[in-house]
Amino acid sequence: MPPQMLTFFVIVPVLIAVFLYVFFTLKIARVIAIAVQAAFMVPAAWLLFATQESEIAVTVGDYEGFLGIILRADLLAAVFVCLTVFIFLVVGIYTVQTPYDRTKRLYLFLIFLLEGALIGLFLTRDFFNIFVLVEVSTVVVTILLMYDRERRNLFAGMTFLMVNIIVMQLYLFGLGYIYMLTGVMDMEAASAVLYTMDDRSLALPYALIMTSIASKCSLLPMLTWLPKVNSLTGSRFTIAAIMSGLHIKAGVYLFIRFQDVFGGMGTDFFLVIGIITAVAGVIMALSQTDVRLLLAYSTIAQVGLIITGLSLGDGYSRVGSLFHIVNHSLFKVALFLCASQITYLYHTKDIRKIRGALRQTPLIAAANIMAILGIIGAPLFNGSISKYFLMSGATGATEWIIILINLGTILAFVKYAAIFFGKPLGKVRTEGGDEPDFNRRAVVLGLGIICLALGIGGAQAMDFLFDAPVSLSFWSYLEKVGIFAASVAIGILIYRYAISKREFLPKLNGLSLSFQQICVSIGAFFAVLVIYIGVF
Amino acid sequence: MTVGDIHVLEIFPILVFFISFFGLIISRNIVKAIVLIMLMQTSVILFWLGLGARLGNIPPIFQDATEVYDPNTIADPLPQALMLTAIIIGIAVTAINITLLNALFRKYQTVDWQPMQDLATVDERPES
Repeated sequence: MPPQMLTFFVIVPVLIAVFLYVFFTLKIARVIAIAVQAAFMVPAAWLLFATQESEIAVTVGDYEGFLGIILRADLLAAVFVCLTVFIFLVVGIYTVQTPYDRTKRLYLFLIFLLEGALIGLFLTRDFFNIFVLVEVSTVVVTILLMYDRERRNLFAGMTFLMVNIIVMQLYLFGLGYIYMLTGVMDMEAASAVLYTMDDRSLALPYALIMTSIASKCSLLPMLTWLPKVNSLTGSRFTIAAIMSGLHIKAGVYLFIRFQDVFGGMGTDFFLVIGIITAVAGVIMALSQTDVRLLLAYSTIAQVGLIITGLSLGDGYSRVGSLFHIVNHSLFKVALFLCASQITYLYHTKDIRKIRGALRQTPLIAAANIMAILGIIGAPLFNGSISKYFLMSGATGATEWIIILINLGTILAFVKYAAIFFGKPLGKVRTEGGDEPDFNRRAVVLGLGIICLALGIGGAQAMDFLFDAPVSLSFWSYLEKVGIFAASVAIGILIYRYAISKREFLPKLNGLSLSFQQICVSIGAFFAVLVIYIGVF
Repeated sequence: MTVGDIHVLEIFPILVFFISFFGLIISRNIVKAIVLIMLMQTSVILFWLGLGARLGNIPPIFQDATEVYDPNTIADPLPQALMLTAIIIGIAVTAINITLLNALFRKYQTVDWQPMQDLATVDERPES
């Protein structure tokens, strides 16, 4: 296929969105949507195979030099595009017939628009394009978050939108500096110029851009607002799954790209921030009683871990972190979709009130447990491989902190896993009673099996996805398995004797930053970053 | 006149930008917050336009196709084109913000952050 195909990756979802909205009735539109998503996997897979050889680039409008908008797919971008298409397909199949279905054509329109914007974000190397696509995806996500009319959460939606607009203004400001210094809008060309410059003279643009990206990834100190927003009443589990599985990963992707553009400035700073974010995310996750909030905060913890791995400055850690991004998307989407089904059956989202899910809905619970084994890094599951490589670059105290973070994750999911055992406390719907839900069970089980498959063939998958021939040393892996087993034992003991008895840090449960506090934390992050780069 | 690498004309938008950011932190009113965000957008646009044009530059429009112009005397058209897009995006998101605020005002009868957050937290807390 010719390189011009790259533009179609962005245009086709947007066109499909418009066609479905204008021309078809809801019933047909839903079927077409699934068919298109499934068919879209083919070019996405082609992109993955084609970029194994060399990267594909196309300049829109055939301008010479760096004048036009350049779309460029390397292996990393191809992996993200594939992941995006796959997650949207999975969520699409899951929602194809829902009992609480208000899947209108507008919903399909927004979903396809978001898909197009995210794919564009992964393929483009143009600074200004990134700004436009991030703004588009922000507006679409804001509307999706408030989609359910009777339960919608206007206030959270407005806060989300306003914070995002502010951070994108910071980004645009930083971009102005980059343009002033380099005279180009293309990442590769700009990075060639920026390499020759002194770090201190780049302090202001770097801090402006990285502050906006850090708040997109919801790093400390901005960590509370994203989970709060994506788990409030108006939003659905499927939207939360897309937010946690993909939208936040777009922030991480931009982080990777911009760290490359700036030649790895400020890695020590982000190493510390990543670790603190992961620790804070774990503690916040532990204190939650709402299923969605627990999962959302655990996403923050994992993103902190990924940022830590990327900032360690080690080749293996970097590849491990990249693999962890893919893995985390898969098991977090599985977790959210399973939680959606379980909370629907139990009429509640409170972890303390759900018991005996394993007996009530065995298949979903099995898939859910597989996803949990993935996220806590159990042997044979994908999380263990990516965490093994992520940790391989860490030495001394950092290594122990990462082990402690994983212990925290285990603890949070031991608390979560209590929903599978015991006897139901209240009224429970029977599975498949109201309507057939075969598609939902198939989807989550499929995701669980993929988690297992990526664990067994982890090294091969990393070689294929990131062109990184890694070797897994048997004895050091065995050592990690030992640490994992010990962590699980400690986790279960701590849960049984400390956490199950009383609520863990109940004050943190309701913690939520006001708009002004979010602005203060953005400003503080910016100020500290400027001082760090400018002075040290 | 320059201060460091920065032209003095670029310092004004920077000042406005950070003053509006400070305003966002101290103002309790959502209407003011929306206006301040617009001010931030305007200062960024001003900054960008300042990048592309210097005093005495002519607009990047060729009146006479046969005449050869010195590139240094022509204002850079790229920032102008990009800022056109930024203005449109700014208008769109401001419109959405005002719409949302309008709906919220009808619901809660206040435009202050804190009372509205308190009311919204009670109203919209995750069901348990």
